[in-house]
Amino acid sequence: MRRVTTLILLAASASALRAAGTVRVVTKDPTGLAVPDAVAYVVALDAPVPVQPPAEPVAITQHDQMFDPYVTPVVVGTSVVFPNRDNVQHHVYSVSPAKKFEIPLYKGESTAAIVFDHPGPVTLGCNIHDWMVAYVFVLSTPYFAKTGADGAADITGLPPGRYRLEVWHPRLAGKVGRELTIAESGDTTQVVSVTLRPDRRIRRAPDGGSSDYK
Amino acid sequence: MGSNGLRLPQFRRFGTRLLLLIVALVAVAQCADYVLVRTANRRNAIGRINENLRQGTLLFTRRVDARLDELSGRAALMSDDYSIRQLFLKDQPDPATVRSALDSYKVRMGVPFMALLWPNGARIGDTGGPLPAAALRPFQDLVKVAEVADDSRAKGFARLPPEGPSGKLYSLLVVPIYAPPPEIVAWIGLALPIDHAFAKLLKADAQLEVTFYYGSTSDMLPVESTLQEGIARSSAPPTSNDGIMTVDVGGESYVTAYRPLLPLITPGRAAIALQRSLEEELISSRQLERFLLILLIASLVAAALVAPVFALNLSKPLRALARHTEVIARGDYAIHLRLDRADEIGQLATAFNRMSEGLAERDRVRDLLDKNVSPEVAAQLMRDGGALGGEEREVTILFVDLRSFTRLSESMAPREVLTLLNRYFDRMSGIVEIYHGIVDKYIGDAIMAIFGAPVEQSGHADNAVLAAIEMKSALARLNAELATEGRAKLSFGIGINTSRIIAGNIGSSRRLNYSVVGDGVNVAARLQDLTRMSQFSADILISAATLRAMRGRYRVRDLGAAPVRGRDEPVEVFSVEGAE
Repeated sequence: MRRVTTLILLAASASALRAAGTVRVVTKDPTGLAVPDAVAYVVALDAPVPVQPPAEPVAITQHDQMFDPYVTPVVVGTSVVFPNRDNVQHHVYSVSPAKKFEIPLYKGESTAAIVFDHPGPVTLGCNIHDWMVAYVFVLSTPYFAKTGADGAADITGLPPGRYRLEVWHPRLAGKVGRELTIAESGDTTQVVSVTLRPDRRIRRAPDGGSSDYK
Repeated sequence: MGSNGLRLPQFRRFGTRLLLLIVALVAVAQCADYVLVRTANRRNAIGRINENLRQGTLLFTRRVDARLDELSGRAALMSDDYSIRQLFLKDQPDPATVRSALDSYKVRMGVPFMALLWPNGARIGDTGGPLPAAALRPFQDLVKVAEVADDSRAKGFARLPPEGPSGKLYSLLVVPIYAPPPEIVAWIGLALPIDHAFAKLLKADAQLEVTFYYGSTSDMLPVESTLQEGIARSSAPPTSNDGIMTVDVGGESYVTAYRPLLPLITPGRAAIALQRSLEEELISSRQLERFLLILLIASLVAAALVAPVFALNLSKPLRALARHTEVIARGDYAIHLRLDRADEIGQLATAFNRMSEGLAERDRVRDLLDKNVSPEVAAQLMRDGGALGGEEREVTILFVDLRSFTRLSESMAPREVLTLLNRYFDRMSGIVEIYHGIVDKYIGDAIMAIFGAPVEQSGHADNAVLAAIEMKSALARLNAELATEGRAKLSFGIGINTSRIIAGNIGSSRRLNYSVVGDGVNVAARLQDLTRMSQFSADILISAATLRAMRGRYRVRDLGAAPVRGRDEPVEVFSVEGAE
């Protein structure tokens, strides 16, 4: 059975005129529930906007044998570090076309930073723990935001102009996108719908150290 | 049964019929038994085979599933293996390395063929081996199925190249390689042959013959079989069939279950046939049937041997009874039937003996009666009993009296007198009986005879007159005999009268005489008296009433009227000289 979720993006309109506009995106599935961890981003259509990777590396930690955060949107060229805060070793890897790498078994804060230098989705895994999965979405636009638990995301600092709004999610089925124009006068409201594939993440293995027999 | 009905052969002898009856009953019972057992055995065998076949098809499905599930588990281990992921850390996996890795896994998993495919189904590499690259198409079809499956796996059957007789049926399995789950970076394809070893394994488990077929919808050929090629070919499944049926192969019945191999990835039709020979299943039952057959023959023989003895035991006393009946019919009551049996036949023999005793008793009584009274009176007494009473009827009375016998007897010894008298009475009485008269009584040397009673007869007057004429002749013959003996001759006179009189049993309830009462009797006696008178000089005198009653023609002389004692009126007298 394939569960289909429709994500509705609501770009709320703002009444006040600003120099830089904001697009508020609210994601909902067909039943009206919020969909977190979706990356909403806009691509300028009039002229390419250069991206500036952050000076400090972004961290995706391993804690309690889970990646945190689950989805990390970054711009091209961003360095990501993978601090291991568990007392077991992890072996982080990716075989995704946008970034293939591996950090063989290690433990602790200090690891080499991985530079994500190609746009596209990158799936992270751990060779030791099958259930560990996380995504890095590498963007070539500086305008993006990730939906929170309430399914809302605000893309801010948009100069007036024409853009293409797109949404990405690990379980996104098909491409979702539309053009929108940010006016001088203020914030813009846009509505976009997407479909999600069923969630097929596997369960984590039972804690081997647990001995609370009943 | 009507004469136009079914004609059964008739056997006169009871023994033969009994023999046939018993043998027929035994034959029918035993044959029915045999047929019923045989039918039931066959039905049970088919039922058992059907059940076996159902179990067999389940077993087949479970075995195929189990095999694939096990492989699936091994493949999952492989797909989660670090070294496999290592291959995908490079932009393009090195073909030689992929081939080597797959060869290693092939050995580890014990499968003859493995392929590695990109998520879109394109080939990354394979183990080669018995299957050429063209064999990848079914795997690619399965990938499309697996993509949308809940567990991202797919399996099915396929006929893989080379084409022709050397092509084999395979179980195919496609499992994903995750990096990490649920991200699928590649597919592993596995092929397990449905080969002779597998067929033999199934046969060993299910005790059924196993054949795999592949072909077009209309024409299917065996690709693997535990049966001989010819038998397998003959029992190819009929068009689009899925079920159990009995197939006749070379005169032997095979109960066969067909089950399509689904899903079949390659075009055409594939099926498994599970079979069991009915004859083989019936082997144990056949022993019972043979035993029953022997029992059947043995009981027939026993029946044929015992029945005649039994029949003889029954018919012998019956024949003896029949013979005894004939003896009794002949009037011999002295012989007793001796049968030492307590059954119905013994009772019958006892009843027969009682009957013959009863008959003998009756005969003795009858005999005595006959000697004391005339046969007709005796018959009437036997019939009516000794009831008192009488009836009025017309009869002819005859009196015959020896003349001068008293004087004659004085010169003879009493014994001689009685002998002579009895000799004379014997002749005369015989004549009376010949003419249907009865001797009513002997009165000294006289006889009183009656014609027309107790049995009514129409010609009683003629009978009396004819008897009188015959008596005359008999007396002449007796006299001739007496003359040769040197004795004096006898002479008699006969008086005959016809009259209405009362006839019946006369006397007390203890002693009865059948006789007649009436004036007519006296007239006859008087007419007899008249024969002594010289004026008549006749031996036979009859009255006018007798003359009127006579129908025959006789030489009769009218002697005129004569006065008789005890009567006022003279009586007309006629002399009978003889018959005309």
